[in-house]
Amino acid sequence: MNTPGDALECGHSLAELSTYLDTGEIADPAHLRSCPECQAGLASLRRLSELGSELLSSDLADAGSGHDDWMQSILDNLRLELRPGRNIPLRTENPHDTLWETEGAITALIRSVADALPGTAAGKCRLHGDLAGGESNTADENSTSGAGIIVDVEIAVVYGHPMEERAAELRRELAKTLAFQTELTIEAINITVTDVLELPATPTPTTPTAAATLPPPEPIPSEREDLP
Amino acid sequence: MTGSPSAQHQLDLVPDALLAGRAADGDTAAFEALARRHGPLMRATARRLTGSLADADDVVQETLVQAWKQLENLRDPAAVKGWLLRIVGSRSIDHLRKRRHHLGLDDLENRAENHVEEHSKPQSTDPEHNAVNTSRVEALKAALALLPEEQRRCWVLKEFNDQSYEEIALTLNISPASVRGRLARARITLARTMEEWR
Repeated sequence: MNTPGDALECGHSLAELSTYLDTGEIADPAHLRSCPECQAGLASLRRLSELGSELLSSDLADAGSGHDDWMQSILDNLRLELRPGRNIPLRTENPHDTLWETEGAITALIRSVADALPGTAAGKCRLHGDLAGGESNTADENSTSGAGIIVDVEIAVVYGHPMEERAAELRRELAKTLAFQTELTIEAINITVTDVLELPATPTPTTPTAAATLPPPEPIPSEREDLP
Repeated sequence: MTGSPSAQHQLDLVPDALLAGRAADGDTAAFEALARRHGPLMRATARRLTGSLADADDVVQETLVQAWKQLENLRDPAAVKGWLLRIVGSRSIDHLRKRRHHLGLDDLENRAENHVEEHSKPQSTDPEHNAVNTSRVEALKAALALLPEEQRRCWVLKEFNDQSYEEIALTLNISPASVRGRLARARITLARTMEEWR
């Protein structure tokens, strides 16, 4: 595609050089290396690109921080609502009552447990299995016959914390909390460490020996059915 | 539930992929952390695409609404930044289109002039004198504002967001070959103008 005035005297064009800047592809690389005109054109385009980065920096400075008022007011306008997910029926005293909690409430509970432990932060969290726990949960008091629920949690561990210990501790805490605060029959809790977080410039860095004894980042394999 | 200030602060350290996963699960705090992290670039991009900061904030807000609704469909949570920026691109273009629909042609011409003026303020009184003092970045802003709109869009999406020809093509609903051509023309015009400032 030719642009008026973009042809160089060597027969090539600035448009070709523009594409070369983005893709690294050009028909005649040998010519490009030796042609002063092409080199001058390329230098000019590179200067423009640098200036573009300066404009971006200047615009970013103008835009301000994401912790400033403008973002707060946008977020205030959004009124995000927790996605409720599936309904999970609860046992009731009275068979005519229908009670349930939402999947979203459970995953929020799981995240809060992981976030509260030192050195871990929760990521994605999924409940697999029949949350309704059988056909007629409300009528049947002994509804524990329902298949167990498999909990998949992804976590990040702060650098310096032993991953396996943190995962084991989280699994214990989750089992306790879920048993106490929900009626779910938990069959398994799979924890996958997906990230290691590096704290910015910690004043008291972990000793080299502690870092050396870190177990290898071996994510606990979890059978994943990626629901849409 | 995820409300304590320390937890909030801790989210600032959490990588995009993890936050996006949590946000897709319905975690509003994780979503807000993502919004704060990428908000400035979204705002800066929308400003250059729409021509004003007020419009930019509308675009960022619309983008976040759409992102919150569609997060579950995001295949690769680590790519959330590029995904947000592509929404910013589409929303910016829609924003201009909608406004254009409401304005008559005369208004449009006026707006185009205002648009140029906004970006070339330092030169507006005494071009010859101020031209010397105006920084090259200011000159680039002015030159950018004078570009045909489609060329400017291609340039901003490339230089600010590092989008590929294919991504830009999808956003603007034109072919990748057109993107390549418009981007080249934009650069040639801008480079020529800027060479005069050297």
